[in-house]
Amino acid sequence: MANGTWKIARRSNAQLPLVIVMALAVVLVLLGKAQGGLFDRARMSMTDWMQPVLSVVHAPLVQFDRWIGSVDELFSVYQENLRLKDENARLRQWRNVAVVMQDRVARYQSLLHAVPDPGVDSVLARVIGRASRPFLETMILDAGSSHNIKPGQAVVDARGMIGRIYLAGSRTSWVILLTDLNSRIPVSVSPGNRQAIMVGDNTAMPSLDTLSQIVTLRAGDQIVSSGDGGLLPPGLPIGTVVEQGGKYRVALLADASSSEDVEVLAFRKPPEQLPSSLELPAVAAGLPPATATPPVFTIAPEPPVTAKPAAPPAASATSPADQADEDR
Amino acid sequence: MDIAERTGTLMSWRSFSVLVPFLCGLFAVLVSNLPLSLTNGLIPAPLLALVPIYFWCLVRPDLMTPAAVFGIGILQDIMAGGPPGIWTLSFVITYAVIDRQRDAFAGLPGLGAVLGFATAALIACASAWLIIALYYWQVPLISPIVAELAMTAVFYVPGAYAVGLIHRRMVGPLRSEP
Repeated sequence: MANGTWKIARRSNAQLPLVIVMALAVVLVLLGKAQGGLFDRARMSMTDWMQPVLSVVHAPLVQFDRWIGSVDELFSVYQENLRLKDENARLRQWRNVAVVMQDRVARYQSLLHAVPDPGVDSVLARVIGRASRPFLETMILDAGSSHNIKPGQAVVDARGMIGRIYLAGSRTSWVILLTDLNSRIPVSVSPGNRQAIMVGDNTAMPSLDTLSQIVTLRAGDQIVSSGDGGLLPPGLPIGTVVEQGGKYRVALLADASSSEDVEVLAFRKPPEQLPSSLELPAVAAGLPPATATPPVFTIAPEPPVTAKPAAPPAASATSPADQADEDR
Repeated sequence: MDIAERTGTLMSWRSFSVLVPFLCGLFAVLVSNLPLSLTNGLIPAPLLALVPIYFWCLVRPDLMTPAAVFGIGILQDIMAGGPPGIWTLSFVITYAVIDRQRDAFAGLPGLGAVLGFATAALIACASAWLIIALYYWQVPLISPIVAELAMTAVFYVPGAYAVGLIHRRMVGPLRSEP
């Protein structure tokens, strides 16, 4: 041991391997930077392998954790009860308002023939592990690719969004939490539908990067997912804007540390059907689509000159790509 | 048991005991990276793998080689879930510093030994923090890594007791002479 009682073995010329190993470690970091998923397969194999043990061990630990937490809560039961009653009364009022508004929105959508929101399938999964490392905030679910879970899908609990699927093994999956250093979520700030990016930095409250300098945020604004990029469904409740030290952050609705059962949303935005290249400029200009048959040109007397702007040539329509080639 | 059989047993035991420090490092990585927490994630898991690395780097560096530290670091990277190579490089840097200052570290008695290990843990955590800062090109929070450092230092005493016991029972009798 370090108290001097151990005999210290000497090694001859050990510096060379150390230099080589250090160089290898640097190469590994650079390789990891270039290819982030270097260890993903190994990670998922390890987690899949540990899944039965984690499932068994997690339950008693949660019970112990709750017991420890409940000891602390004993001293504030009365005040907490009063606060919850008050909050419950207010929520009932808001629920009535929400039901009326939902009905009204459905009526308006019907009148306007609005495109309905795409359906979202979900998988219910149980949290079997949590890891709070200095550079990674994650949780492990007991469902994986065999349950149609794919990386990028949103993970929510009853209160709001928790994070996204980061890795999906066959029976387990890793969730990258919204608070993690690697988390970037396109969000919408209501009211006003202002767009921003919510950035995790390993604190309990992620920060907000607004996309425009003129966007002003106010404490109390609601944050929902914007759906940009097509991976996350729009409108998922995320949190509320709070001001902290002159910077705006998001107080999350969901508490990832206490979530036990979560939903993984299998949202896939249907791909838009683009019009054919023949239709593009003509339809965009509001003209009837051109036919595939070649146009017939006839010699006609020149019309009198008028002040009207010339319509785009529908018959000789070219695709934007062709136009770009010509410009080039 | 005849001489040949005893010699064979001794050889296999010797080859196993050579692997003991490395296996202890791997086991420490597995234990410290179990995704389970008794404190709801408030207290981070310690870097238990540093204990066998530090201990055997001082006592038997011929058994805790740079390659072994590299292997332990890779497993730590896989299990910890962060960007690849962060902990591998941190462990190797820490090993290099301990290796160069072995006489100073090994001569520390009592509380000094704990402070010596805390210094090694500080080097590992500071290296990881710096690599992460360069990796993401942004300054990460210091508080989580400080909490990790504190927990690692706290766990040194029981950890060193355990690896000391293992060393005496399984490695110590077979250690090489200086």
